[in-house]
Amino acid sequence: MSDFIALVNLPVPAATVPASAAEPGLERGWLSRALESVSVWIVLLLAWWVASVYLPLGDNPLLPSPLITANALWDSLPELWAGTLSSLTILIPGFALATLLGIVSGLAVGTSARLQRIFLPFAKVAGPVPPTVYIPYAIAILPTFKLSAIFVVFIGAFWPIFQNSVAGAHALEQSYRDNARILGLTRFEYQRRVVFPAALPHIFTGMAVGLAFSFILLTVAELFGANAGLGRFVQYYADFADYPKMVAGILYTGLVTFLAMTLLDRVRRRSLFWLK
Amino acid sequence: MSHGLKLEGVGFAYKATQVLQDINVSIPEGQFVSLLGASGSGKTTLLRLAAGLDPVDSGRLTWNGAPVVGPSLERGVVFQDYALFPWLSVVDNIEIAIAKAKPTVRKADRQAEAGKYLRDLGLEAAIGRYPGELSGGMRQRAAIARALALGSPLLLMDEPFGALDPVNRARLQDLLLEVWELATPRKTIVFVTHDVDEAIYLGDRLVVLGSSPGRVIADLQVPLERPRERHSLLDSHPLQALREQVAATLVQDTLQRLKAA
Ligand SMILES: Nc1ncnc2c1ncn2[C@@H]1O[C@H](COP(=O)(O)OP(=O)(O)OP(=O)(O)O)[C@@H](O)[C@H]1O
Ligand SMILES: [Mg+2]
Repeated sequence: MSDFIALVNLPVPAATVPASAAEPGLERGWLSRALESVSVWIVLLLAWWVASVYLPLGDNPLLPSPLITANALWDSLPELWAGTLSSLTILIPGFALATLLGIVSGLAVGTSARLQRIFLPFAKVAGPVPPTVYIPYAIAILPTFKLSAIFVVFIGAFWPIFQNSVAGAHALEQSYRDNARILGLTRFEYQRRVVFPAALPHIFTGMAVGLAFSFILLTVAELFGANAGLGRFVQYYADFADYPKMVAGILYTGLVTFLAMTLLDRVRRRSLFWLK
Repeated sequence: MSHGLKLEGVGFAYKATQVLQDINVSIPEGQFVSLLGASGSGKTTLLRLAAGLDPVDSGRLTWNGAPVVGPSLERGVVFQDYALFPWLSVVDNIEIAIAKAKPTVRKADRQAEAGKYLRDLGLEAAIGRYPGELSGGMRQRAAIARALALGSPLLLMDEPFGALDPVNRARLQDLLLEVWELATPRKTIVFVTHDVDEAIYLGDRLVVLGSSPGRVIADLQVPLERPRERHSLLDSHPLQALREQVAATLVQDTLQRLKAA
């Protein structure tokens, strides 16, 4: 049981680890900054714990205590892991396809006044449509649930990536363009070695938005017809009023989303090391 | 003789502002021309036209007899803001130029050649680094290395030594002269500078632009043998006279513009 407490309380021991820094002033600065960054977690956790213990919530409270939730999380880990894999087989193809097509078409449109005249009026209308409205139709049209979910994730991630790629290509500095012309780069070399890297900061912004959308659409789509997956896990146990497992599923999904966003941010930092 | 760069009645306007008007300059192949003029007189604009980055609005602009209609590897440029690609390392910035100039050379050889240009410019320490990590003067030298690596017979250089300290500046002036004198046939160079002494030390000829609109207000030969001696430059009376004449022309142009404004 103490394992679970450690799991839930993770930030606290991290903050109390003594720093080996030589300078005391520095050390205190480091410590207080670490405390600041976990303070919201500690307060929320305490509030959760107090609420679950002292509020009269009945036998099967909608707010299970942190301990019970941690227990449920531990018991559900195999099922959650299988759900994660199932969700990823939707998320990864949808997001990867959206990234690829979003960047390629976005850069092409962003560097051509003509393609802008052709496609931007359409993109202005089609882009803001909430992709959730496509879900029932996609499920009806496409042969499997998985395909329709991939399609919906793709649509949701595509537009922000496309739009940011267009903006990035459009914002290309004149001096880079002049340079490319002086060097006599071919159109493809120009796209690959100049426009693409120059637009990368914009592209990563689009990818971050697209990835967040992907998770939303993934979990929503799973409410409709999945037999496994993160969103489906939460819905399933909510239907059975198994609130500890439901809350555990929410926390777990939050963690997976956070990890995915962190991974993308790492890739972004690595790719944009040259940015001042 | 149609070889070289020729401007006949060239004019150019940005929207409603006439930037250059009726420019007539004929630069024979192999000549080193220093281009002077007050800030905003249109020197950069003139180089952009010669490079083919912007089309002339009126008149004729030809290189070796053929009208300039777009950029070409024949005409290398060192931009005033040196504009290297910040996502490529310094050596890759040079290599991309070599790859275009000599498509058949293998990558390893291109890298080696890029390294040679960088060493010539005193940048061996910066080879694997990125433009963002360099000082302004180092970036400028890397941009010069790239222009040299293109191997163009015409070099258009826009204040290429503006961000250098005096020692490096003198070193690079001599290096540029060396590159220019050793090449056969000689490169044609248009070199923009605000420094009258530099213009005289380097150039066969001084062309001075007046402002609003940009036009040629002086076109003078530099009566000085090569190779030139840097320290005896100012002792010579004809050169002192030339220097004063150019300086006076520039001052007068600036005063006129102030009066007009
Ligand atoms: N992209 C542009 N759009 C509009 N006007 C421009 C543009 N570029 C330059 N100009 C104008 O053209 C004139 C000449 O500019 P140019 O850059 O050629 O001057 P310059 O002689 O190179 O000046 P400097 O010595 O400061 O580099 C200036 O009045 C400038 O304001
Ligand atoms: Mg200029």
